[in-house]
Amino acid sequence: MTNRLLLVEDDERIRISMRLALEDEGYEVDEAGSGEIALERFAEQPSDVVLIDLMLPGMDGFECCRQLRRSSAVPVIMVTARTDTHDVVAGLEAGADDYVTKPFVAKELAARIRALLRRARSVDEPSVLTFGDVEVRPDEGTVERGGEEVHCTRTEFRLLCELATNPGKVLSREQLLDRVWGYDYFGDGRLVDVHIRRLRTKIEPDPANPRHILTVRGMGYKLTA
Amino acid sequence: MRGHRLRVESDVRRRQVDQGAKGRRRWSRLGLRARVTVTFGLGALALSATMAGLTYFTARQFILHERETAILRQAFVNASLARSSLRSPTQNIGQLLDSLDTLPGSLSVLEQHGQWYATSISVGENAIPPRLRSLVLSGTPATQHFVLDGSPQLVVGIPVPSGGFAYFEVFSLDELARTLRILALALAGAALVTTAAGAVIGRWASGRALRPLDEVSKAAETIAGGRLHVRLVAADDPDLSALAASFNRMADALLERIEREARFTSDVSHELRSPLTTLVTSLGILESHRDDLPVRSRAAVDLLTAELRRFQRMVDDLLEISRVDTGSAELSLDEVEVGELVREAAQAAGVGGALVDIDPAVAGLRLRVDKRRIERVVANLVDNAAQYAGGVTRLSAEPAPDGVRLVVTDHGPGVAPTERERIFERFYRGHTSGRRGTTDGTGLGLSLVAEHVRLHGGRVWVESGVGDENRFVVELPASDQDPEATALVLGTDGDGPGRLPLETPDAS
Repeated sequence: MTNRLLLVEDDERIRISMRLALEDEGYEVDEAGSGEIALERFAEQPSDVVLIDLMLPGMDGFECCRQLRRSSAVPVIMVTARTDTHDVVAGLEAGADDYVTKPFVAKELAARIRALLRRARSVDEPSVLTFGDVEVRPDEGTVERGGEEVHCTRTEFRLLCELATNPGKVLSREQLLDRVWGYDYFGDGRLVDVHIRRLRTKIEPDPANPRHILTVRGMGYKLTA
Repeated sequence: MRGHRLRVESDVRRRQVDQGAKGRRRWSRLGLRARVTVTFGLGALALSATMAGLTYFTARQFILHERETAILRQAFVNASLARSSLRSPTQNIGQLLDSLDTLPGSLSVLEQHGQWYATSISVGENAIPPRLRSLVLSGTPATQHFVLDGSPQLVVGIPVPSGGFAYFEVFSLDELARTLRILALALAGAALVTTAAGAVIGRWASGRALRPLDEVSKAAETIAGGRLHVRLVAADDPDLSALAASFNRMADALLERIEREARFTSDVSHELRSPLTTLVTSLGILESHRDDLPVRSRAAVDLLTAELRRFQRMVDDLLEISRVDTGSAELSLDEVEVGELVREAAQAAGVGGALVDIDPAVAGLRLRVDKRRIERVVANLVDNAAQYAGGVTRLSAEPAPDGVRLVVTDHGPGVAPTERERIFERFYRGHTSGRRGTTDGTGLGLSLVAEHVRLHGGRVWVESGVGDENRFVVELPASDQDPEATALVLGTDGDGPGRLPLETPDAS
């Protein structure tokens, strides 16, 4: 089955070149020149992965990503010309799973897309993981807190599973990048940090004083019941 | 052409002014404070000397006049006494002279019919100046100042024709001269004290007046040191507040200009990214179909790929540098062991393990560094060695007085001593620049090394090693030192304005 990608990019030449490159990698590529068009296209025909450029005319990439997240847990990669922490973090906060910086090498982008797709499918965890009042069901892909379902993106879910299958054990950011994002990464710990923050807001009673997902200074993160 | 002639003219003019300016320059080299002090001192000296001179001469005139009047009065009294006494023929002239009432230090001399009589043995006819003697003897009363045996004297001569004699009295003015000398000394002393006081007041006043200038110069120095946000506090004094305001305006303009330039670099780098993305992506497609291409096209694609990679690196480096310039560079600090840091950096830079030499004394030392930046530092130094000095011969970690030194040694040729600082400048290419045609260098590598190291509060320099080799030394402070000591570093956690709070394992 061919995977469908939705490419949201206002610069036509970049869009065409990216489509050519990604088609070469074996994907079927849909294009959208703005955030509004992208949301329409996605509603008509959902894609497997969405690539969003942050600098769009009208609705910007952050907003597009947020709106997309309301209805879908589809993996999102944001494309940015800026590598400043502010933009990267804001993009991840908006719900993106990963990011690439312009100019990128198409093969690298394709590798990340593959990693996201692979993660979306792997299912080999025990049936229920419990800590505190949180229940994680890896085979069903659901998280419940106090009996109520918590909506997580696939990356958040993978991260939570990774921590929950190793309770009490400190996992470094590098380990988490490797296991959750799927391949030997260039080591941008910001990806992990922002996803941990997002997870905390969803499952911690008080996200500012976490009880379950703890920071181990200078080493990484660990999960406690 | 025109500009050139203008410069020549101004040179000629400068030479003409030179002579006059030389003295002025020597004077202005003294410094404002010293000049004010000297001026105040000289002013006080002139004023007090004039006052002292006037006082002295007025006093002298007055005292002398008083004395002369007293002397004349007494001489006339004595002359008339002598006349009445000499009417009696039995009167002995010697006794008469002795009986006269004279001031202390004065002598009486009397001439009658060519005979001279005096109250002193040493002073007689000869002591009296000849001109006055003849004048008096011819019937004219007279006075004259003269010096006898080194002391000033005043002689009064009174002819008494009715008595047939002439009466002279010689007064010693020694006492008077001594009084005047003491007065002169006292006045000179007062003048000196006044001069010194003038100089002291000048120094104090100029110090007070120049204190705001001290502040200005301190602020200017701080700004020159890179802390561009320093401003002067406006004083109440209208003169000073104008100075503070224009200084602050200047600093604002400077800051704005620097920020604009840095922003421009940043904007250019970002704008270049869109066309670069199309280029890189499209070229990537061509490359993946490389085998389908004719040989000549394949060569062209390879050239494009290599050059595009360099172009891309240049844009990245420019962006990195502009981030440092705008102060938006952020250190992502991690605590790492020196041994691990150096080994990983060596691996990332493609330096074989056999060339890595870590001193056991520092291997276990923990540093708080931004790993990505330190790896870039090592990679850039290794690149530099590969391009200009035959490659790396050793990558070592050595102990330093307050931290650790990473040393990258190469084959040489050695960097000329005159270029050792300049090679860390942006786009500087030294005498080895002949190789430029074959390098992949961006011209920013070493300057980025310097910026990264500076952000860590460290130093970098190049020194000569054994023979012709270069030792590029990066000194990093031990982790207890605060990297924020350097002005431009921002914190790692998002407490700055406009940044989202970001939790990191080492920052919470």
